[in-house]
Amino acid sequence: MSDRFVIETSDLRKQYDGVEALRGLTVQVPAGSIYGFLGRNGAGKTTTIKVLLGMAHPTSGSARVFGTPADVPAASVDIRRRVGFVSDEKDLFDYMTVDEMIRFTAAFFPRWRADLEQRYRQSFELPADRKVKVLSRGTRTKLALLLALCRGAELLILDEPTSGLDPAMTEEVLQALVAHVASEEMTVFFSSHQISEVDQIADQVAIIDRGRAVVTGALDDLRESYRRIRFVFEHDAPEATFRAAGAGRVRRKGRVLTVLASHGADGIVEEAGALNPVSVEIAPVTLKEIFLETVTGED
Amino acid sequence: MLWYKSWLETRWRFAVGLAILILSATGTVLAYPRVVRLLPLVPSIDASGEVGRRILEIAALSRTYRGYVWAQWLRQNMTQMLALFAALLGTGGLLSQASGGGALFTLSLPASRDRLLGVRAATGLAELLALAFLPSLVLPLLSPAVGETFSLVDVLAYGTCAFFAAAVLFSMASLLSTVFSDVWRPALIVCALAACVGIAEPFLGDYSRYGLFGLMDGEMYFRGTGLPWLGLLASAAGSAAMLFAASRNLARQDF
Amino acid sequence: MLLRPNPSSGVPIYLQLMEQVKHSIETGALRPGEQLPGIRPLAEELVINPNTVAKAYRELEHEGVIELRHGAGAFVSANARAKKATDKLRAGQALVTASVDRLRARGVTDEEIRRLFEAALALTKTGVHGE
Repeated sequence: MSDRFVIETSDLRKQYDGVEALRGLTVQVPAGSIYGFLGRNGAGKTTTIKVLLGMAHPTSGSARVFGTPADVPAASVDIRRRVGFVSDEKDLFDYMTVDEMIRFTAAFFPRWRADLEQRYRQSFELPADRKVKVLSRGTRTKLALLLALCRGAELLILDEPTSGLDPAMTEEVLQALVAHVASEEMTVFFSSHQISEVDQIADQVAIIDRGRAVVTGALDDLRESYRRIRFVFEHDAPEATFRAAGAGRVRRKGRVLTVLASHGADGIVEEAGALNPVSVEIAPVTLKEIFLETVTGED
Repeated sequence: MLWYKSWLETRWRFAVGLAILILSATGTVLAYPRVVRLLPLVPSIDASGEVGRRILEIAALSRTYRGYVWAQWLRQNMTQMLALFAALLGTGGLLSQASGGGALFTLSLPASRDRLLGVRAATGLAELLALAFLPSLVLPLLSPAVGETFSLVDVLAYGTCAFFAAAVLFSMASLLSTVFSDVWRPALIVCALAACVGIAEPFLGDYSRYGLFGLMDGEMYFRGTGLPWLGLLASAAGSAAMLFAASRNLARQDF
Repeated sequence: MLLRPNPSSGVPIYLQLMEQVKHSIETGALRPGEQLPGIRPLAEELVINPNTVAKAYRELEHEGVIELRHGAGAFVSANARAKKATDKLRAGQALVTASVDRLRARGVTDEEIRRLFEAALALTKTGVHGE
């Protein structure tokens, strides 16, 4: 029936007017996961989402959702029947009221969940007769979320769902997402530059930098294999490059050599033995540190 | 619901246009008695230049009520305003909603871009149809008040010509809306073009009936040579071609 | 009931949950045979991924600390394996104390001892699949 990957891109490239927004992005999103898509501003997160939903055409490479190609117009319409989307601008129709927006959207989805609509109308405290134009950012976000969650969709694609929200509202949104995933057969693909929320609810992660995925994998696997290794030497630390697998950037400062290892910490420690360090320390690495270390993007 | 959305987006333009046109038609009819009284004064006007020639022509036509309606309402007021509102109704598609109009939300719905454009064009054309016919209905309804009659058949004939010609301008505005990302440029460009054509056409003399405005005011029908079938066909083909080009532009567009 | 795990600590959330459950059993906050919160409600309450809760429960079951009864939920193991975990800890504590004493005797400072243990822990898998 369907692939086990709900979203799959392979060497995806997108060029806008000579600017390469995506430079060969390859990611795979397993069904049922909460997939966090981390990256700096301008790294290509929104562009990726636009390609997946048929809003932008890829220059080359492939993007598939539910196993069907995202850049074929007819297939894209079918994909969108099964997807709930929230844009990063939370842009809706200014001139419609909350009620009208809900009725408008519901008309497109035969599997609209009236029960969820009732629940979220209440818990999000959405004013039925107010025009979208006068809603606060937080309320607009919650309305956009309601419109996405009630579609009976199998996949949620959220572009920075909590941007511009205060901590209390952020928690509300995350809670609604977690509750939704817990009770429905659903995959969530969300982009963010808030590492803490990815830490909190994602089980799969990709870090995108300048149009490419520089880190992908299960978040727990990353937590268990990334290590920061610190070697202290008697005299000034030697210039060293490690050939062992998994060795990342090496920093020298005075008598200390620090290596970020994506995996295989033991191999690196072994290799360093030849340099005669006085002491070796191995510490776990937070997602934030992995992010900062692997993302070098400028502008 | 796409129909409802298109209606919400264009209803004020439509309502204003309808109101203005109906008022204008009413005014035209009710002004007739006064015009009749002023006619004897015309020969004493200095008839030099294009403007003078025009005044003399209108005066000549106004000797009959049918001629007056054609010269004053159809050729003058109605066509100018209909052209304006055709441009206003045709502008403002998906591309202009890309920042602040919910374009991404619309595009995330399970509706093809062709359908989005199609519904929008159909709504606009329906409104244009109403603008082409409804105000002219004032003529048969109100003319008895000034002691004249105006046939419904004429209304239908003129309305058809006006709609087909105005549809060309509407389609042009729609096409330009897939090129420019703001709502003003398509409308302004179409109005400017229409103005140029409108100014140039009278200089074609007898051939003015083959121009766009010649079609819109139904000159051929007025002068008794029947409906301008070739003109209607050509304008329909032109409109269709431009709308098709608009759909191809939209299909290619990256948002 | 369970404390919010710290998502940013670099320690997988499911491990933190497992630790908390074991700790609760130790201190008596959870008794043998008692029911644990369901996966869904717990995920909602802590605002974490339900898959993470499921993983923690699976691993706890693998270690024999809890039982997953199909359709009924998760229950603290009634049998001696829970007690065995406590015994394991006590034996472990004895080992650690002995090592610390010996290292101190050799003149290793407490700070250095702490770092040695951290290094040793980080190098090996943190004891997920039993001893």
